[in-house]
Amino acid sequence: MSGLLKNNLYAAAANAKAFLGFMVLFGIFTAAVISQSLQIGYVLIGIIGFSASAAAVAKNEFTSKWGKYKLSLPVKRADIIKSLFLNQVIWLLAGSLLAGIELGLSWLLHGSLFDQPIDILSMFALGISMSFFMGAIFFPLLYAGGQERGEVFLMIALLCAFGIDFAIISMTNELLEPGIPCIVLGAAVLVGCSLLAFGLSYPLTIKIFSRKEY
Amino acid sequence: MENILELEQVSKTFPKSGFRLEKVSFALPYGGIMGFVGENGAGKTTTIGCILNTVTKDSGRVKLFGREMLDKDSDMREKIGVVYDGDNFPGYWSAGQLAKVMGGIYRNWDDELFGNYLKQFRLPAKQKIKHYSKGMTMKLAIGVALAHHPQLLILDEATSGLDPVMRDEMLDVFLDFVQQEDHGILLSSHITSDLEKIADYITFIHNGKLLLTASKNDLAYNYGVIRCRESQFLTLDPKDILVYRKRDFQTDVLVADGKKARKKYKDMVIDHVSVDEIMLLLVKGERV
Repeated sequence: MSGLLKNNLYAAAANAKAFLGFMVLFGIFTAAVISQSLQIGYVLIGIIGFSASAAAVAKNEFTSKWGKYKLSLPVKRADIIKSLFLNQVIWLLAGSLLAGIELGLSWLLHGSLFDQPIDILSMFALGISMSFFMGAIFFPLLYAGGQERGEVFLMIALLCAFGIDFAIISMTNELLEPGIPCIVLGAAVLVGCSLLAFGLSYPLTIKIFSRKEY
Repeated sequence: MENILELEQVSKTFPKSGFRLEKVSFALPYGGIMGFVGENGAGKTTTIGCILNTVTKDSGRVKLFGREMLDKDSDMREKIGVVYDGDNFPGYWSAGQLAKVMGGIYRNWDDELFGNYLKQFRLPAKQKIKHYSKGMTMKLAIGVALAHHPQLLILDEATSGLDPVMRDEMLDVFLDFVQQEDHGILLSSHITSDLEKIADYITFIHNGKLLLTASKNDLAYNYGVIRCRESQFLTLDPKDILVYRKRDFQTDVLVADGKKARKKYKDMVIDHVSVDEIMLLLVKGERV
């Protein structure tokens, strides 16, 4: 498993390097100016962007014969999928950490730009939830539909994640009275649902992958 | 004699392309090199896919080290080294990074041995694989396949991107590898001169069907090709004819027992036959 994780980390790092450069510059700019919208954008782009580049690893493996070669290695197909899901979580955490650093830097320079600190929680919850939903949709779609359509599937997964999250937010706003409990519960529902989808997607992806021929 | 690899009646159909691998059977004994010959699209890679479980066979049995290999049998895959034609590894890695990944996957990964292969094959460890030439990527794949001390090498067109000098060097590496009696190599190739140099057994495949599997010595010393005229061809015993190919002024007839044919057909020219010619006759020739 450690070899598979290293494989995914190297692959994602190759993708993420350029993105990291952009995010560092964007982060410095966002921390320097006083703009709540920019900060929300930064946090969401940071978390979702790193997750998306990690997800793209699965697609890139089939640009060479590596995807097929891996099946001849002493690993089970389930391990290959497990390593991809773990990789997704690792890069989601990396994106969240980067967003957290930027937010902390901005707070140090200008103080909080949000009405209530709890708003930060819901912002992170949205980013994390979108990333989990994206992974939950993308991986089974990729293995079922073929790696050659990876870009399209990644886009579909992102759009679906966006749609699902905003549907959940609308529902919780509709059902709950406005206030701090609504924000906290809304964030919990977002993260909980996406985690559940991510968890269910894992055995589904294994099932699809175990039937694939290369 | 025990076999390191054995295929029994392996069949696979691809409904979309209509390609069928039909009841392929052959066996590779321990200590041997099997040359697996066929033109492009003959079914070599599909057969290798069935062996390695990258393709699910419809029927038949594949035994590796005496038993069938399932997805859960990762311990069996520890003993197999694989090289595919083309880019086996992502181009954004260096050989050094590849070693780190493989070190985390194979229990018996030998960094020192891999380093020696990099030196022997003159491959820079820090350079990205995407900057390697085709020959270099093939040499790297061969180094990786050997660096975890496998018992069985499965090489799918592994020598195709190499120049003749490098190919010769690789063939020596393969011959070295089978010096140990519990080792074996399945080498698919359409470069028949390579197989003539190193293979102990040769299996011919065409259109998904196994045409012939025999030891190289048998092919070299027993098989023969009768060069005859049309009128002479008509006098041949059909039982002796494996395949024949009519050409402008003569008919070439492949026979399994050249010595017997020499005695039987004294007025005809009977030559020894190369692997290349056997392949051509089997693929382009007609059966009686």
